[in-house]
Amino acid sequence: MTNIEQHDGTTRDDLVQRVALMEAMIAEGRQSTARYGWMFVLWGLTYFAAIGWTVYLPYTEWAWPVCIAACTVVFGIVRSRQPRVAGKIDNLRRHSLDAVWQVIGGGIVVYLLAVIVSGQAKEPGYLAAVLFFNGLANGVSARILRWWPQAVAAAIWWGCGTAMLFFTTRTEELALFVTATFCGMIVFGLYAMWLERGAAALELHHA
Amino acid sequence: MPELPELDPVVHGKLRLAVLSLLVSVEEADFTWLRDKTGSTDGNLGAQMLKLEEAGYVAMQKRFAGRKPQTLYRMTPAGRRALAKYVAALKRLLGGAL
Repeated sequence: MTNIEQHDGTTRDDLVQRVALMEAMIAEGRQSTARYGWMFVLWGLTYFAAIGWTVYLPYTEWAWPVCIAACTVVFGIVRSRQPRVAGKIDNLRRHSLDAVWQVIGGGIVVYLLAVIVSGQAKEPGYLAAVLFFNGLANGVSARILRWWPQAVAAAIWWGCGTAMLFFTTRTEELALFVTATFCGMIVFGLYAMWLERGAAALELHHA
Repeated sequence: MPELPELDPVVHGKLRLAVLSLLVSVEEADFTWLRDKTGSTDGNLGAQMLKLEEAGYVAMQKRFAGRKPQTLYRMTPAGRRALAKYVAALKRLLGGAL
């Protein structure tokens, strides 16, 4: 390693080398980082699509199964095209997070299918459980990551879920569901994507 | 003629700059991963990480992953600011090259 303690003797080539080094290392780091923000946005849009279908389109019993299946396919395609994790960055924690979201996500799918098959999708309040499931996943994730913005997302899910048990008209229920999805998933996902840009904020790109 | 900006000597060292550039795009990273990515040796990397810690640019945490000890590093807000300032200084020194 060459340590240059003052830049008086530093040549232009040295500086250009530093830039190349930074770009190479940032690219390495990015390859090693799984990105999660887009997943929240994708699932948020799926929730919107499903709830929109139940309100505006016929065959409402197909809304959730079709939207979830479509989202799962898109999710799988996008994730398979993401670079594999190259580094050993806190694998235990990543494994814990994957486990939480896979198990709770699976729980939401099973619950929604059970609601539809049993014909209870027209009963008020069934969506409250979906909000609580999401709050649970976000809450556990926030605890693992010690990340307060995700704890706020969990609080939004739980708050809207709780309110849904008191405000039971269809309109109120939909408004709460849309609010929770927008704030707890879309906005939170966009915020996570913005954070994931990380190095981009340093404006290292060539002109 | 405008005065040329100072380059932070702590950031400017090649290995330290490489480490900071790696850490800026990850949440945290363990020592062996940083060593492998930079192609450094344990001793050299350890010494440079200590300098970064003393400058307050990285924070270190030791823990166990199962039975295996792990040394994790993350960039501090001060480190992020220092790197951003370094990039801005580089931009000025290199003119339109960046």
